[in-house]
Amino acid sequence: MAVRAITETYDFPSRSRQELYGDDQLVHVLWKGNPLLCAAATFRAPRAMPFGEFLAGLIDPWAGSDPDYRPGAGRGWTLDGAAFDPSPEASLAELGVGHKSLLTFEA
Amino acid sequence: MAKKLSMKKRYSALTRDLDWTPSYVDPEKVFPYTSFEGIKIHDWAKWEDPFRLTVDSYYKYQAEKDKRLYAVLDGFAQSQGHLSLSDAKYLNSMKLFLQGVTPLEYAAHRHFAFLARHYNGPGPRFAALCQSIDELRHTQTEIHTLSTYNKYYGGMHSWPSQFDRVWYLSVPKSFFDDAMSAGPFEFLIAISFSFEYLLTNLLFVPFMSGASFNGDLPSMTFGFSAQSDESRHMTLGLEAIKFLLEQDEANVPIIQAWIDKWFWRGYRLVALIAQMIDYMLPRKVMSWQESFELYFEEQMLNGLFKDLEFYGIKPPRHVEHAIAEKEILSHQVYWGLYSFSFAAAFTTTVPDAEHQDWLRAQYPGTFDKHYQPLWDKAAKIQADGGRFFFQGLPQLCQVCQIPMLFTEPGDSTTICQREREYQGERYHFCSDGCQWIFDREPEKYVQAWLPVHQIFQGNCGGPSVPEVLAWYGIQDGDGGEYVGSADHVDWERWHAAAPVRS
Repeated sequence: MAVRAITETYDFPSRSRQELYGDDQLVHVLWKGNPLLCAAATFRAPRAMPFGEFLAGLIDPWAGSDPDYRPGAGRGWTLDGAAFDPSPEASLAELGVGHKSLLTFEA
Repeated sequence: MAKKLSMKKRYSALTRDLDWTPSYVDPEKVFPYTSFEGIKIHDWAKWEDPFRLTVDSYYKYQAEKDKRLYAVLDGFAQSQGHLSLSDAKYLNSMKLFLQGVTPLEYAAHRHFAFLARHYNGPGPRFAALCQSIDELRHTQTEIHTLSTYNKYYGGMHSWPSQFDRVWYLSVPKSFFDDAMSAGPFEFLIAISFSFEYLLTNLLFVPFMSGASFNGDLPSMTFGFSAQSDESRHMTLGLEAIKFLLEQDEANVPIIQAWIDKWFWRGYRLVALIAQMIDYMLPRKVMSWQESFELYFEEQMLNGLFKDLEFYGIKPPRHVEHAIAEKEILSHQVYWGLYSFSFAAAFTTTVPDAEHQDWLRAQYPGTFDKHYQPLWDKAAKIQADGGRFFFQGLPQLCQVCQIPMLFTEPGDSTTICQREREYQGERYHFCSDGCQWIFDREPEKYVQAWLPVHQIFQGNCGGPSVPEVLAWYGIQDGDGGEYVGSADHVDWERWHAAAPVRS
């Protein structure tokens, strides 16, 4: 269904489209099964950033909100619903992590 | 001398008799907004005015109420009434009210003024005019009522600009913007029916009873002064839906879809009330669950919707998900606010032992199992000299804009994640309800101003938390942890045994 509008041409760009972030993109990360972190986090990261850097520089400090978290403890990763085994050297783009992709892990 | 007109004639002369039929301009051009939504109106005169009110009697009546309210406000201020509140942290609920609800009153004032020009029929035009004036009066009296506290407590100084900027206030703002940017009939179903009728008791009763239980005489008096207006607005909402349903059978499926959409939009908005009633009131009124059962399940589902069956209207889509989460909603939302209150203009804190006992008694099936462990852990972090905060920005729902903290229907331990790809871009939703709303009108919701995404685009003052807080107009002492906050310290000082220095 489409918007019923007073004009024939109701068409506007997304306010979160990837081009607004330059060479970066948004990535959502959910720590499954830990209710202390009430929701997934959203990060802005360069598409060329290696996964290891993304993990150590962005995910670890956030997951460390829980004092019981040990850096790098994440396992059972998924990317947009599919099992995911990222190599730390590969970039987000190479791994297929896209704009507003959802990564999940358990710890 | 001319005889005095009867009330009925006088009403008719002062409202409907002021209407005329355009003869040299196309009516489509005079009223351009009332046809594109597909609603068919055959006879505008069938609109029954729920209240036969004229402008002069309206003003006289409202002036009386204002006089009483302002007398209470003066007395309260002169007698340092704020010192007899149940606790300074009670005011968190009124901070949320001032920041999140008062701007909605003003938005309603603006849009009802627009409708007072744009409906074809004089009946609904006049009803919209009266409501527009009511909403402006509510805005003003709420500001005056709460300014009593602004002199002494944090978090109440910059609410008009915060409404346009702060992350949690984008929830009410985007809700109302969604309604204002819809057509005039959808607005009526969104605001007058779904919000003012279906959900109004869930919204207003907790605030006003909370005020009465917690020594907030000004807000309680404001509540009484607004009550007769609110019941008029409720009656308008009911009249609006009956009028639209009776005008043409083709209107029924359109209205049903609007009820489905606006029930869920409104229900997600009142999640903020759920946490307020269970967690922010030092002296409790009733639990969210009780309030939902009484004001929604009993009065609306078992009452109103039974009456609407006659027109072919069914209870709102996804209502079963709302019912299923009534024992978990308030806990999830308050935990979320607790996690992010470093960026809020109100404070949060771990519920004390007595408060936890009350929560345990109210929610025997869920509190001990799911939420007690969270509070224990938060208390332990605090005892070790820290304070638990979510050190990052949350994923937001594209539709309701609340952090995606809600859980799967029937599984209160798994975060609900819904996703759609639209024109090559991913969008995420907190629930089936929000996803369904997006699917109906994706062109609308791709435009959402999501606070987290805006921060990342560099539109909110800068990349660091202090820069964003400065842009939000949040000052030291407005948010964060209640214990040790400026409000807490002042309150303790004002209530210390030592005499106040003259």
